[in-house]
Amino acid sequence: MSTLLTHIAISDGKIKRSSLEVLSRMHQLANEYGHDTEAVIIDEQPSQYVDEVAKYGASTIYTIENPIFKNHRNTPLLKALSAVMDEANPYIFGFGSTEGTKDILGALAANQDAAVLSDVSEFDLIDDGISATRPVMAAKILSENEAHGDQILVSVRSGSYDLNESQTDAETVNIDFSIDEDKIQSTLREIIGADSDKIDLSEAETIVAAGRGAKDEEGQDLINELASTLNAGIGASRALTEAGVMDPSLQIGQTGKVVSPQLYIAVGISGAIQHVAGMANSKVIVAINKDPDAPIFDIADYGIVGDLYKVLPPFIEELKTIKS
Amino acid sequence: MKLYVCIKQVPDVDAPIQIKNGTLIQDTDRMVLNAYDASAVEEALVLTEEHEGEVEVVMVGPEGSKETIRKALAMGADKATHIQTDGDVDYNSATYAKILATFFEDKEYDIIACGKQSQDTDAGLAGSMMAEHLNLPYATNAVGLSIEDSNLIVKRQGDAGQEIIELPSSCLVTCSNDMNEPRIPSLKGIMKSKKKPMETVELSDLDIAEEDIKPNTKVTGHMEKPEREPGQKFEGDPEELAQKVANLLDEEANVI
Ligand SMILES: Cc1cc2nc3c(=O)[nH]c(=O)nc-3n(C[C@H](O)[C@H](O)[C@H](O)COP(=O)(O)OP(=O)(O)OC[C@H]3O[C@@H](n4cnc5c(N)ncnc54)[C@H](O)[C@@H]3O)c2cc1C
Repeated sequence: MSTLLTHIAISDGKIKRSSLEVLSRMHQLANEYGHDTEAVIIDEQPSQYVDEVAKYGASTIYTIENPIFKNHRNTPLLKALSAVMDEANPYIFGFGSTEGTKDILGALAANQDAAVLSDVSEFDLIDDGISATRPVMAAKILSENEAHGDQILVSVRSGSYDLNESQTDAETVNIDFSIDEDKIQSTLREIIGADSDKIDLSEAETIVAAGRGAKDEEGQDLINELASTLNAGIGASRALTEAGVMDPSLQIGQTGKVVSPQLYIAVGISGAIQHVAGMANSKVIVAINKDPDAPIFDIADYGIVGDLYKVLPPFIEELKTIKS
Repeated sequence: MKLYVCIKQVPDVDAPIQIKNGTLIQDTDRMVLNAYDASAVEEALVLTEEHEGEVEVVMVGPEGSKETIRKALAMGADKATHIQTDGDVDYNSATYAKILATFFEDKEYDIIACGKQSQDTDAGLAGSMMAEHLNLPYATNAVGLSIEDSNLIVKRQGDAGQEIIELPSSCLVTCSNDMNEPRIPSLKGIMKSKKKPMETVELSDLDIAEEDIKPNTKVTGHMEKPEREPGQKFEGDPEELAQKVANLLDEEANVI
């Protein structure tokens, strides 16, 4: 019996949904192949998240508590993850593919001499390792991969697996951890926050995304109203982040965020391949575009050919009626 | 100030992609400088224009990748090292990181920069692996760089917003291609690049044996992505369409 360990990422005081998706998948694999499901929470106050994590099948939950984990910093996180690997000796160590994970995954693999596959959309256990599918070449095609070794790290794109509850009486194990802050060479000066009440795109159930077609003030007002009607996160195409209309952290696509909501509404977005690379995994896609030949219609479940300024006001009204 | 930029030659992701019997057919005429690395080169050039210094590019790749090295030199890099490898070997991120870290072991530098990921594999691992091997402070996914009192100030895109991180020299940074528009080499730049020094190094010169860099992951095949089927497309009176689609989302798709 081996250990399948999942890292539970916390950002802005919330568990990243993608971590719980990975934990759900790990628990399923552990049951199928007869392994142990374990999880680790590294935070300022990890204990507040233990009950939530225990719902997803972990039999042991490791916690590492230290004020230094208030914000993401790669050096302390790496040290903590190495400490957990020493303690838990995982066969597979799974991560949600967040920005925080991308920052440390390679370094952790090098530090532990572990094999690693990043940003997979599916994975399974095979003899002496894992097999995994990864989108490559700007997510235009899929590659099949294998990783072999005693320890394998894997990071999983958000939305790849559904949440699956399976309550356990988890045992909590606190791992002692200290770090001399003076010895950390890199300094975090500040975080230019996206406001904390904004909805995190990589976790959002619904996303309203604005493109060049909605770049003026009137368009932005309509986008905001649609988003607040649906309690949705707001995203943008690169045309708008580059023009400074929207914050760069809201960009969706190959160089922006990869999202996988239940509902994605693309307003005034042409559907360039680099944009589609970030949102093609959405369950349901709605496109509103005045150009009937816009490529976004090739992937939309519901396409509205029309001027967004004429379509959105009655669309918002109707949604409000449905919601009430 | 001495900056090294690690670059890679990759197939052009905008070129048509062919898969035959599970193998990716790469059009060798359309190999390009990895876009994220091009941004790293651009940023290094801007930093040395502002603060003086030298930019050297380093590429691990087969004989045929010299053209891509010339491109970086034509952009303005001062010199290059080509760590020449056997073109048939399937390296993974760990292999590249080990080779490059070995190359840097006896070098002196202020900053090593590279792209945050490679466009063909999108793995995003080699940078932080290299930093770990070399025990360097590092930052990934930079969207802005500047120098203050010989420290590198990195603006990086994190989960909770943009983080401003200060790194002492020597350090490593991986670059997003959101930070700049890489310059297009001028004719003069292209002419000059032919005279710039390019050193070729073999793995044996670095004391690396094949078994030291044997990949522990492998690609076993490629396949087309299952196409998303186009759904229903509506044209006509905006008001009617808006109402219709809102109701379909509620009753058919169940997502409201
Ligand atoms: C290396 C690289 C990486 C990139 N990464 C990304 C990325 O991560 N994310 C990203 O989004 N892009 C990315 N891009 C850019 C991408 O190629 C496109 O340029 C971008 O997505 C276009 O944004 P858009 O659809 O908003 O604008 P456009 O392509 O200009 O499309 C605007 C659309 O709005 C429609 N429209 C205009 N007015 C109206 C109206 N009144 N009502 C309805 N419809 C209207 C038009 O018909 C058109 O289809 C990248 C490009 C490169 C080269």
